[in-house]
Amino acid sequence: MSECRRIIENLVAFLCGELGEAEKEKISRHLKTCSLCGQELKRLQQTLQSADSLNPEMEKALASVNWEALSENIVKAVWQIEARPRRLPWRERFQAFAPKLKPAFAGLLLGVLVGALASYLVFRGNFPRENGGKKFFASSDFLDKVDLEIARRETLNYLEKSQYVLLEFAGADTREGKFGSSGLAAEQARELLEKKKFLNPQLEKAQMAKAKEICDQIELLFYELAQISESLTEQQRQEIQNLIEQKKLLLKIRLLKKELQESEA
Amino acid sequence: MERTKAAENENIQILLEKAKEGDRLAFKTIITLYQQKVFLLAYSILRNREDAMDIVQETFMRLYQKLDAYEREKNFQAWLLQMTKNLCIDYYRKNYSKRRELESAKSIEELNLAAEDGPNNAASSDLRRIFSRCLEKLTDRQRMIFILKHYNGLQYQEIAQVLNISVGTVKSLHSKAVQNLKNLLSPHLGRES
Repeated sequence: MSECRRIIENLVAFLCGELGEAEKEKISRHLKTCSLCGQELKRLQQTLQSADSLNPEMEKALASVNWEALSENIVKAVWQIEARPRRLPWRERFQAFAPKLKPAFAGLLLGVLVGALASYLVFRGNFPRENGGKKFFASSDFLDKVDLEIARRETLNYLEKSQYVLLEFAGADTREGKFGSSGLAAEQARELLEKKKFLNPQLEKAQMAKAKEICDQIELLFYELAQISESLTEQQRQEIQNLIEQKKLLLKIRLLKKELQESEA
Repeated sequence: MERTKAAENENIQILLEKAKEGDRLAFKTIITLYQQKVFLLAYSILRNREDAMDIVQETFMRLYQKLDAYEREKNFQAWLLQMTKNLCIDYYRKNYSKRRELESAKSIEELNLAAEDGPNNAASSDLRRIFSRCLEKLTDRQRMIFILKHYNGLQYQEIAQVLNISVGTVKSLHSKAVQNLKNLLSPHLGRES
């Protein structure tokens, strides 16, 4: 019975010629001896024959078509579509369009450049200038602060140099011949006197009275120093040292320097 | 047989290459060679001459668009019929679903009774109608396999390629399709015999 079941499963393939020779032989042998499977084969054959009932209709439909005309129409339709400009994907379209845009871009760029040049030539003298054409603008308050800062720095510089000269002088010995013989003190004093001339208006403008007073005292001392001849005697040196000590110039310089450093803007 | 198929395949490859290069005559030759097979498949599924012709045109237009996608190792006929089958399914879903619903309302029994009462010369035409109705009762895959096998004359191997399934599945589904048809047709066939 299980043999019949297996045979029936393969009967359709057997009828349609889809089995190998060995399988075909096996089924043929079985069909000779089994009437049940033979009946099933007959029923299946009938079913497949009834499928042929559609064949005349299909043949009629096949015969009714003008195949030459159909194939020609299809080719025409395909070539008509091909002849139409293809709509490329956006990326390809962009790439394909780019070379076409090149002259347009060049023209646009040239136009912009010519326009810019023409505008410059036409309007170059007529552009309104703010604040009378000044390039830098600052409030008076800010400028005052700047003046004060410059005066402060200049004074500090002057005081430092003066302090150096006075310290050297106070501690110098004629035997060492540092100032007395070379006249270096006189030369430095002259330099500092020159500097003081430029410093004066700044100190007045910045209203630094205290600083000006001390600077004036130092100036006086340097004035005397500059008058002294290159050969400074021991007595003259002593007098100047006394003067420095009397007026406590070094102390005043130190205090003023400190004050100026603290008041940095 | 195998050698003939290989030569046929070689020829079609040459024609496809030429068509790809824009050779109109080569493309027309491909159409001439396969249009009847495509028509038969479409007609078997849709059972309408005009619709089948539309499908033929649509199939070859799609073929031209997809020439670059064709791989040499594929069976061209199976590939082409696969395209046709897909177009038919789309077409069927769009245009036939409503009609099929209405026609399905009529049972095969009604048709059998009509056949019994009708004149003898109408018997073959009735058998055709009954068989068509029985064919529609099959599942989509069974019906497609039956059509490809009996009206397009394809081997199981080729059907498997068209439907993208195994040969074993084709064999099993074909057997089931014939068994189902046998059961559906049995009252009518009994009367006939």
